[in-house]
Amino acid sequence: MSSVNLDQSLNSAATVHAADHHEEGEHRLFGFIVFLLSESVIFLSFFVGYIVYKTSATDWLPAGVEGLEVREPFINTIVLVSSSFVIYIAERYLHKENLWGFRAFWLLTMAMGSFFLYGQAVEWMGLDFGFTDGLFGGTFYLLTGFHGLHVLTGVLLQGIMLGRSFIPGNYDDGEVGVAATSLFWHFVDVIWIILFILIYVWQ
Amino acid sequence: MTEISLEALSPKREQPVPGEPENWRRFFSFSTDHKVIGIQYIVVAFVFFLIGGFLAMIIRGELITPEADLVDRTVYNALFTMHGTIMLFMWTFPVLNGLANYLVPLQIGARDMAFPRLNAVAFWMVPVFGVILMASFLVPGGPSQSGWWAYPPVSLQNPTGNLINGQFLWILAVALSGISSIMGAVNIVTTIIRMRAPGMTFFKMPVFCWAVMAAQTIQLFGLPALTAGAVMLLFDLSVGTSFFDPATGGDPVLYQHFFWFYSHPAVYVIILPVFGVFSELFPVYARKPLFGYKFVAVSSFVITGLSAIVWVHHMFASGTPGWMRMLFMASTMLISVPTGVKIFAWVATIWGGKIKLSTPMLFALGGLVNFLFAGITGIMLAAVPFDIHVNNTYFVVGHFHYVIYGAAVMGIYAAIYHWFPKMTGRMYYEGLGKLHFVLTFVGVNLNFLPMHPAGLMGMPRRVASYDPEFAYWNVLASLGGFLLGVSTLPFLLNMISSWILGEKAPANPWRAIGLEWLVSSPPPHENFAVIPTVVSEPYGYGKNEPLIASQMASTELTSELS
Amino acid sequence: MNLRLILKLAAIAGVMTAISLWVGQLAYTWMPVPASEEALLVDHLFSFLTTLGTFIFLGVAGTLLYSVLFQRAAKYDEGDGPPIEGNLTLEIVWTAIPLVLVIWIAGYSYRIYDEMNILGPMEHMHGGAAIAAPLTLAQATDAPEAPEAPEIIEVHARQWVWEFYYPVANVTSTELHLPNHRRAKLTLTSEDVLHGFFVPAFRVKQDVIPGRSIDFEFTPIREGTYRLRDSQYSGTYFAAMQANVVVESPDDYQQWLTDVAALSPQPGLNPSYDEYQVKVENRDNRPGWKTVEPAPYPLVNYSGAPVLPER
Repeated sequence: MSSVNLDQSLNSAATVHAADHHEEGEHRLFGFIVFLLSESVIFLSFFVGYIVYKTSATDWLPAGVEGLEVREPFINTIVLVSSSFVIYIAERYLHKENLWGFRAFWLLTMAMGSFFLYGQAVEWMGLDFGFTDGLFGGTFYLLTGFHGLHVLTGVLLQGIMLGRSFIPGNYDDGEVGVAATSLFWHFVDVIWIILFILIYVWQ
Repeated sequence: MTEISLEALSPKREQPVPGEPENWRRFFSFSTDHKVIGIQYIVVAFVFFLIGGFLAMIIRGELITPEADLVDRTVYNALFTMHGTIMLFMWTFPVLNGLANYLVPLQIGARDMAFPRLNAVAFWMVPVFGVILMASFLVPGGPSQSGWWAYPPVSLQNPTGNLINGQFLWILAVALSGISSIMGAVNIVTTIIRMRAPGMTFFKMPVFCWAVMAAQTIQLFGLPALTAGAVMLLFDLSVGTSFFDPATGGDPVLYQHFFWFYSHPAVYVIILPVFGVFSELFPVYARKPLFGYKFVAVSSFVITGLSAIVWVHHMFASGTPGWMRMLFMASTMLISVPTGVKIFAWVATIWGGKIKLSTPMLFALGGLVNFLFAGITGIMLAAVPFDIHVNNTYFVVGHFHYVIYGAAVMGIYAAIYHWFPKMTGRMYYEGLGKLHFVLTFVGVNLNFLPMHPAGLMGMPRRVASYDPEFAYWNVLASLGGFLLGVSTLPFLLNMISSWILGEKAPANPWRAIGLEWLVSSPPPHENFAVIPTVVSEPYGYGKNEPLIASQMASTELTSELS
Repeated sequence: MNLRLILKLAAIAGVMTAISLWVGQLAYTWMPVPASEEALLVDHLFSFLTTLGTFIFLGVAGTLLYSVLFQRAAKYDEGDGPPIEGNLTLEIVWTAIPLVLVIWIAGYSYRIYDEMNILGPMEHMHGGAAIAAPLTLAQATDAPEAPEAPEIIEVHARQWVWEFYYPVANVTSTELHLPNHRRAKLTLTSEDVLHGFFVPAFRVKQDVIPGRSIDFEFTPIREGTYRLRDSQYSGTYFAAMQANVVVESPDDYQQWLTDVAALSPQPGLNPSYDEYQVKVENRDNRPGWKTVEPAPYPLVNYSGAPVLPER
């Protein structure tokens, strides 16, 4: 294009790289937030569908179903919501460059997430209605299942981040992946709180 | 040819770059270069445009006589379903993504998109779901025959009883298309917000980028709603849940809400970038700054905002209570205000200019006139009492095709001609271009204008046969349809021969102002050796001011070198 | 000079207004002959919208055409036009005018809609029974003072045939008969998928939604035979799902009801089933895919004539 730019590009070649790396991480976090905002609309749509069905359906609960047991899901909720605080502590440790502290609390988060999934599975097993049992069955399994899929994704992402913490020097500069995973986890938690209120509290 | 030495000197970057930049094979590779991906999108989309157009011509062949005498009714229903689906999901969205991919980084002064690999993945999903969609012709029972809205309960009827049926594949393809579009939207929005060159504030950004950002924002909030509806429809179809099936207590009207919450704004996803193209082209070929640049830029986002609250106007004749009809009539009519701002601004841009009627300008002007007509029939459609008469008639089909073909496709053609020298480094043949314009403009009006009287007289859309009273208008429309088929031939001839044999293009053949015109044609790998610093608003025609800080020196050198 | 410009613009505006009013009158002829009170209202609205639309189209397209014809760059003129970047007053004006216009259009449309009062789906979430009951009750109480109070006609849609039931006379038909100048009251139900009740001559349309019963009203004002078409895509034989609507004087209508009530049930008109039989008997060899089977011929007192209404 122009020879004036030639030597400039030579000079800038070296500096471009380091700056780019940092910027790229921030792009990723930004992009991830945009994605989460978009993803939240799917849940929003499902919630709206649930509310419309619940307020308009003539026979909401399938025959023979009284309602949902709240006690176990409530324990599950407490575990999942508190895991949001645990993952925050893990992140603080990473900021202070205490890797083992990070790993311990990160692993605890994973354990709590897995406990939630286990609790959910147990609940599903014990229910006497299925996915095809009317609008209630359909929306119940759709919402909890879609959310459960997100919890599972979160736990898997956490596993990857945990593994990557063992690569020497990998997290020296802060890590976008950890921040994104943690953000995702908070997102999954908030969704669950709404979901819990809609399905279990509002019966 | 300093680009070559620049190539050698520029730093090796993280992304793998398969193939040499001048090698045609790169277009068949998993390239992460936004320019390669942009052209890949455009070419693949155009192939599907030809397929969708071929289906349309069979449809027009059937409709040239009142009886259902050309193809079986099931085939006809599959044809219009696939025509709509292909044209929207395989042609307009991908081709506009291609234009955005190619132009946005160049126009904002970035070396590539924010996420090059995600970009490549998003593109390569297009042929994948394209093949899935096409494969539905081969499954027992044939492709989906429920129209591109896939309204239940018709879409849930499965006469063959197969689990893998046309409707199943249709939902799968649309869902994949949605995922690909979301990836694209995240990428484009991030790129525009975070990677603009120094000095390029939002109000120094070209309107095309504004429009693309506004359009992609719609994808981000709209597509998830469609996805939610599609997932529920898929479960109804394949597992037997009862979300939308009235036989088991479901609500088919709720699906319509999910569907139109996205699919009406989807029309703005298509038309907004085309508005962006108009805003880029009129200043160049009228040699005047864009009139009221800030108004035009911001009005795109006003449209984005309003687009989220108008969807029910597709359902005025559906299960929609009166208060909802009135509310959405008002919101729909409001859309004409920001749209009007744009139209008036373009007219004022052209007024008193030094107009050059080259092919891109002709297409842009033709597109503008067609859009004006479509906009006026659009306001008519928003008026509930009138809409109730013409809802689901050919009046709507005519209106919609004026928007989609008359304005959007013609705007896309304008963009392809305008940036063809930049993309390929070759000039196209002006004579063939003008022939293409005449055939397209006449074809559009001959094809779609007669649909309006047919609709007013009460001809429903999607019919394979009709009462003889509509025959006259349908013969005209069919002739126009075949003419549109013919119109693609000079375009194809022009594009292919120019790309191979055309005259070499200079960096800025149109004397246009914009960052993309400061680099060579085609632009070097990674676009800018040094990221430029922008110092003035775009469209400074007649103002003789530099666009970027180092421009005085470099423009002199460019003219010396070329 | 300035006065001249103003006069010129005024003259142009005058010509444009004249053309727009003329096209607005022409718009009445683009529609089928209006056969209901609602049709008259809709046609007024359409004429108004066409007048306004023509004026805007002529204004904008005319300006463009003038530019394109008379403001072209000379062959070797590489110069730029005047660098006018905008005009705030102008921009505010052309934001405000459309805003006022659409408020006007919306207001006018609202008034028309209110006058039409065609009902459509109100609160019909819980099926037809609950809605139908109070209506028949109202009809019963109205009966003494208004002996000609119209009975409710049930419209049943199924893939792909229309069937009409007159509960008071206990008559079924595949041709819809309506008394002239009487409010026609229908309840629309579907047995399978979405259909659309659409009579172009009446300018009324309403989707028929399975699982709901929708009340629908309009007033025919012109005797004759018209077409009822399915307006919401309903599957394979969608296009064949049409029926004739006969508007006749109230006396003829009553006579028809009594005559027909005496007839014994016979298979009604069902073009889609006819066509399907051709397919099944292999008399149509065009390749196609498996379809949902059409409903068989409904047994009705009156089938009507399988001829298109004269235009």
